[in-house]
Amino acid sequence: MQMANVNRLTPYMFLAPAVVILVIALLYPIGYMIYASFLDWNPSQRIGEAEFVGLRNYINLLGDESFRESLSVTLKFAGIVVFLEMLVGVGLALLLDRNIRGMSALRTLFILPMMIAPIVVGLMWRYMYHPTVGIFNRTLKSLGFEPVPWLSDGSWAFTSVIIADVWQWTPFIFILSLAALQSLPQSALEASRIDGATGWQQIWHIKLPLMMPVLIVTCLLRLIDAFKVLEVVLVLTNGGPGLSTEILSLRISRTASEFRELGEAAAMSNYLLIVLLLLTLAMFFYNKVSEMRTARLRAAAEGDD
Amino acid sequence: MLNFLKYTTAAAAGLAMMSSTVLANPYEPYEGTTLVVNFPAHPHYNAVMRVLPEFTKETGIRVEVDQLQYLKMRERQTLELTKDEGDYDLIAYVVFSKADYVFADQLENLARYFMNPKLSDPKYDADDLIDGYVQNIGVAGGTKGYLPGKTGSLYGIPFGSETSVLAYRKDIFEKHGIAVPETYDQLLDAACKIPEVEPGVGGMASRAASGHQASHAFLLHLAPLGGRVFDGEWNPIINNEAGVAAANALKTIVDCGPEGAQTFGPAEAAAAFSQGQAAMFMDSIAFAAGFEDPSKSKVAGKVGYALHPEGVRRGSQTGGFGIAIPQNAQNKEAAFLLMQWLTSKKGDLMVAMAGGNPSRFSTYEDAGLNEKYPYSATFGEALKYADPDWRPIIPTWGKINADIGTSMSKVLTEGLDPQEALDGVAERARAIMDEAGYYTWN
Repeated sequence: MQMANVNRLTPYMFLAPAVVILVIALLYPIGYMIYASFLDWNPSQRIGEAEFVGLRNYINLLGDESFRESLSVTLKFAGIVVFLEMLVGVGLALLLDRNIRGMSALRTLFILPMMIAPIVVGLMWRYMYHPTVGIFNRTLKSLGFEPVPWLSDGSWAFTSVIIADVWQWTPFIFILSLAALQSLPQSALEASRIDGATGWQQIWHIKLPLMMPVLIVTCLLRLIDAFKVLEVVLVLTNGGPGLSTEILSLRISRTASEFRELGEAAAMSNYLLIVLLLLTLAMFFYNKVSEMRTARLRAAAEGDD
Repeated sequence: MLNFLKYTTAAAAGLAMMSSTVLANPYEPYEGTTLVVNFPAHPHYNAVMRVLPEFTKETGIRVEVDQLQYLKMRERQTLELTKDEGDYDLIAYVVFSKADYVFADQLENLARYFMNPKLSDPKYDADDLIDGYVQNIGVAGGTKGYLPGKTGSLYGIPFGSETSVLAYRKDIFEKHGIAVPETYDQLLDAACKIPEVEPGVGGMASRAASGHQASHAFLLHLAPLGGRVFDGEWNPIINNEAGVAAANALKTIVDCGPEGAQTFGPAEAAAAFSQGQAAMFMDSIAFAAGFEDPSKSKVAGKVGYALHPEGVRRGSQTGGFGIAIPQNAQNKEAAFLLMQWLTSKKGDLMVAMAGGNPSRFSTYEDAGLNEKYPYSATFGEALKYADPDWRPIIPTWGKINADIGTSMSKVLTEGLDPQEALDGVAERARAIMDEAGYYTWN
């Protein structure tokens, strides 16, 4: 009897260290943040001295024009950036999925931008965008064009930030789609070739559908990341001009340090968390559905035999 | 027994006398102490860094400096100051932190140090400290809470404080016969005339980047043009005529300024001026030393300095840094000694000679300093008009400041109407002030 109990407990005992670490490292900070979002908390106070205000922070935020603008900037930014990166990244992968000499060196070159620290990326682009000494405007001027107000006009600044982000993160999508392409079943491709499919038809009807599960996951991972981008924008524009590039994570950081409202910053983070959670759930849901679909197809195929 | 007591007391007294007469070194008990101080990365404090070894040599107190970018400093200090035992023994704080730190009771009241005969140097001469700075940076608890007054007391000493002056290119002004602006009308005229007569050179380089920088630039013009952010009862009056005039002045300056001026921070603006891309620069006196350094500046020797032009009244900014002792510091007394040494007549002059901003009138009058930095006399004159109330120093300021900054940035880059922008600021400021309880007594 005693022995049986111990036996039954064994798996949990092995799990215990992981659970303890998870609780301390993950759940505690999240719980702390959720609790903080119900407080009117100034950073000069300890958390115990802060006043409990219930949902006031959340309600105030919904009525706060700057927050809403920042949320819409974030959504717009994430949407555009991920769309462009998917387009370019997958396109590049399709182009480069062949045996070229020195391919491995080329691949390393392609993923370099991703490996550079975001602050450095921001600084680099900021100098390139510089109105007088930056390479873009100098080139434009020497070609006889009008210089472009890269960072000093609202919509240009937004475009500039998008360009920098696309430059940095397209390689991420490129490398994952290339891996997916190279692990595609050769039999399907061969069969289509024998049936006389053109290159475009192969891409459209065989490669892309087979890559889809990987692409969806990649896309969602990038979306989640794009929602949290901070450093590049911080260095490039610091949210300006006006609020044109003030993405949510920048607004959160300013609310905490500049406006000194930790409770409101926590509430904002929770809104962001909810959006991200929805995205993750969507990803999870998609995985489940596609798994079920393959299972059904396999069952059907086995039935045919 | 009584004899024994007498004997020991006498011996102790004798010993004490001996130590004071023979050595007369007030720093002795603290010899070997290591102070950890938090200073910003700023020209003044770079000068301080060059002078600190002198302090260690004289007193035996070692100083470890943690230098941070000045806007980041506050975040770090806020964390440090709420701990039970802080790491910093002395901090330099940005003037608008005064409200938060004093309100949260995190700074030592300096009275108990100046009262302590073992610490306080009778030759310190506090009357020599520049009034406007002490009022703006050091004292809290008087008028409106953040200004001095009969109920105020001292929490910090101004160190690395600044006022605004107009730096201009003597060569360009002379070449085109433009008079050095004394009023705002002349200033704005000159700012837009220069790009016409001297192609490629902007009128005036000014801060304008969204957020704190744009707000700072706007407030710089608001005070001399007769405006204020709040009236005496905390009603926002930023959207009155003076406010709109200040916004228009800033817009004119940025529009006639060098290329890309809409996103300048102070460093970019100063760089534009020192690289010859702008003919005027109106900002803190702290930048002057950089303009006169030929290794960094193309305009060294060509720069003239004048008082901040007069609008409805004279009013140059007051700002910069003060130094204070955190309540959770571990070596408060030694920290006070450092503070006193740095702001003493001798220390202040040494820092000024190394390129810092004086905190004392006597330093500005020093012949040696005027010889090395000929503009010192003008700066001393400018300080007479330093306005300690050019921006409110209240805990809600961070939010209002950011709002002014974004709205101004919209005026500068998106063509938002100044009146409309300021009306919006005033409305939101009223809500923020209401929530913080400023209208409790109305």
